[in-house]
Amino acid sequence: MKKAYWAGAVLILAFFGLGLTTFSKSMTPYVTFEEAKESGRTVQVMGALEKGSSRYDTESKTLFFTLVDEKTKVSLPVAYQGVKPANFEDAISIVAIGRMKGGSFASDKLLVKCPSKYQGEETEKAYGSASAGKS
Amino acid sequence: MEGLTLRLGFAPGSLAIWAALISGLASMGVYVYALRLAPKTPLVPSFDAQRNTAYDRAIGFARRLYYAFAFFIVLASCLLMRLLLSHDFRVSYVTSYSGLDLPFRYLFSTFWAGQEGSFLLWVLMGSLIGLVVLRTAKEQEPPVMTVYLASFLGIVGILAKQSPFRYLAQVPADGQGLNPLLQDPWMVIHPPVMFAGFASLSVPFAFAMAALWAKRWDGWVVRAMPWALFSFLTLGTAILMGGYWAYKTLGWGGYWAWDPVENTSLVPWLATAALVHGMFLQKARAKHRKINIILALLAFCCILYGTFLTRSGVLADFSVHSFVDLGITGWLVGIIVFFLVGGLGLLAYRWKEIPKEPTLDEKTGAEIQEPFLSRSVLFILSVTLFCASGLVILLGTSAPILTRIFGKASQVATSFYNVTHAPIAILMGLLIALVPFLSWRGETASAVMRKALLAFTAGVLGAGVAFVAGVRGPRDLLLIFSAAFGLAASLETLVLFVKRKAFASAGGYLAHAGVGVMLVGILISGAYERKAQITLLRGQPQQVGSQTFTFTRTVFVSEDGAVKKAEELDTARLSDRRAKQAMEVEVKGATGKVWKAYPKIYVNERTRQMMANPDLRSTPLMDLYLAPQAYDPGSPARTEGSVVTLARGESKSVHGTNVTFLGFSSDPTQMQAADPRIVVFGQVKIGEEEVQSRVTVVLPSDPNAEPQMISPVIPTASGKASVRLRNINPQGGTAELEILGLDPKGDFKAATPENFSVDITTKPLISLVWGGFYVLMGGAFLALLKRSAETRRAVMA
Repeated sequence: MKKAYWAGAVLILAFFGLGLTTFSKSMTPYVTFEEAKESGRTVQVMGALEKGSSRYDTESKTLFFTLVDEKTKVSLPVAYQGVKPANFEDAISIVAIGRMKGGSFASDKLLVKCPSKYQGEETEKAYGSASAGKS
Repeated sequence: MEGLTLRLGFAPGSLAIWAALISGLASMGVYVYALRLAPKTPLVPSFDAQRNTAYDRAIGFARRLYYAFAFFIVLASCLLMRLLLSHDFRVSYVTSYSGLDLPFRYLFSTFWAGQEGSFLLWVLMGSLIGLVVLRTAKEQEPPVMTVYLASFLGIVGILAKQSPFRYLAQVPADGQGLNPLLQDPWMVIHPPVMFAGFASLSVPFAFAMAALWAKRWDGWVVRAMPWALFSFLTLGTAILMGGYWAYKTLGWGGYWAWDPVENTSLVPWLATAALVHGMFLQKARAKHRKINIILALLAFCCILYGTFLTRSGVLADFSVHSFVDLGITGWLVGIIVFFLVGGLGLLAYRWKEIPKEPTLDEKTGAEIQEPFLSRSVLFILSVTLFCASGLVILLGTSAPILTRIFGKASQVATSFYNVTHAPIAILMGLLIALVPFLSWRGETASAVMRKALLAFTAGVLGAGVAFVAGVRGPRDLLLIFSAAFGLAASLETLVLFVKRKAFASAGGYLAHAGVGVMLVGILISGAYERKAQITLLRGQPQQVGSQTFTFTRTVFVSEDGAVKKAEELDTARLSDRRAKQAMEVEVKGATGKVWKAYPKIYVNERTRQMMANPDLRSTPLMDLYLAPQAYDPGSPARTEGSVVTLARGESKSVHGTNVTFLGFSSDPTQMQAADPRIVVFGQVKIGEEEVQSRVTVVLPSDPNAEPQMISPVIPTASGKASVRLRNINPQGGTAELEILGLDPKGDFKAATPENFSVDITTKPLISLVWGGFYVLMGGAFLALLKRSAETRRAVMA
């Protein structure tokens, strides 16, 4: 019976090893636009969509747009290959995962933060809530 | 004072939550008291109202307090539902998540669209499940119900602090509406099932903690096993529904994205699977006592940890459906730490008292010799495998938190999960394959090989068929082999059970057969999908593979599924008012059969967001999946220059020439003319030349008519370029200018045809994912029936 537990322990250790090596390989750190431009690996960046900068090219099936860092005002052109997210134009911030490829950030995954997610909070801001209602 | 009134909000609701909190606490207290009154006889009796001892009276009182707890939770839920159905926009929650435009079924589902409502749903499910638990826990009722209540009171506390009944200071006329992606029949039933599963995991946890408390090392497993199976069944069903919803609605083409919200429901499910197998081992061989208690504790804590990950806002930058912080993070962390430290502490306290697994046979008294190749080993390995899978997923999901400790917050790519789960899946198939051929007493290797030969051959055959069909690579072929091996072994055993008419005991093997089918489906539909990104010009057929696709027209699909033209929509019908624009695509197969697909692209009127829903056609061998990307209505040929919007003094480069807007001036004398008009001049500098553009607004004599705007194209002196003042914005002081003649390609724009871009994906054998899952759930259901019957018969100390 002891052998079974040993086998189990070895199995767990083996998976832990596999998990850790895969883990470090598949890491996609959050970086600033400047860092993204210098680094050649897969990273993720977050920024606001520059109004009117998005353009869908039907030939290459690519969505081109520009992200702007809200704090530093640095901008980053992004080429996204894939489905244009439903709430793209109204996004308050966009996370793009990918890497730099010849001057623009080639991304294959977007996370779109839409205002609806903040619904509860926004409603209370707009109409006043218990905490805001004291004044 | 006003702040307090708003916070209390709809008073009956908030008071019901407080009343539930108080009666729940009181019920817990009386149950603890009852435990002290329990007769010190070897056989602790179940509650018996007729016997009427002090012990029975205490339990009777505790039960009545529990009924009050459940009543107040149900009352609070009914009140919230009533507020939502009657559109009471005084309430913050109602305004935030519902609106006047929703049909009944979606209005109903706004109950759990937000955080507070989903917490209330969780507690509601828990309070209803508790009504069954207190009747079936029998001799273990007092400690079990104490822990069970404790597991929910923390959440009731959160609801008391962050009440769903809060008022707004001003009452809006309409709410914010429900997220359009959630307006789907699957999303009406998925959350209640999911929360029933979450709530039910409190039951094995309560039994495990009660076991430590009352030193009932094996009895708890008998009573808790049906509940573990119930959790496995409900959580599994909910996960399946969520996956199917994602596949059918979201349009990225898959059913599982390894998103934190998905993962945090999967990990408790895996922990429950481990627990079910561990409990089986304990019942059969009196083994695994400590580990089962740990598993029950971990499964419950995984739910809490998942709630923390997704509800506290720590993952807000990493997940699509993560929530923002409502100020409850501290509470959630407190609750997790309380149960984890409390549970592990109690376990450590009792550790030495928990009996070791028996080494002597009960009947003969001889030493138990269990060779390595025995059924116990398979069970232990299966539990290990579930734990390994759960740990890896937990590690990946927690990556943003773990990496933040060491530096930059990072996320793992989804490949992490796929790479780590390939060996897990292969081993899972092999364990399933071996289990019918190994007995508890153990087996020699040659005997196992002889017995397993038929199933093994089927496995090799399966891999061979897959190879012929185009499956390549050692990982894929090995996975197919092990899944087919497992499926064949399970089917072989099921045939034996059917022959013996032992249907009731077939649950486990049926579930295993389902897993084998599912593994094949997951691999083939994922790794061997074919995707083509095409743009269809209206009316022009295009061939992809053996099929021809033609975009024929745009239509509207009303909510009841009817396809209509725009003019056929009846605004008196809600279903038609909620109709969505769809693209009709005719799909002609190799056999000449025509099928019409209706992928949708439409603008949600409330949020003005572009939405897209795929359409799919399922056949047993293949799904054809059409995910809309973009729709362009096309435009006629026209002459159009470059449009720039400039503030006074601002300049911009247009095709290499600087264009500066110098300022406005106007001609007031024109207002006095017979037909009064406003004339505004805009001074523009193009390159080195200055030119005066103008716009004339003719005010009509009829005050209701629209004023007419005239903006002529005015060339510069050299005639190289010209400018048109298209619009002015007096508030911002900006001018919208159209500049012609600077584009080296000319200002003439050719007509663009109406077109529709769509991703066409074929997903082979995805039906096996759903089919295998149904079989797995069917097996789990059979096992649940069998174990419930056992529990009813059981009489124990």
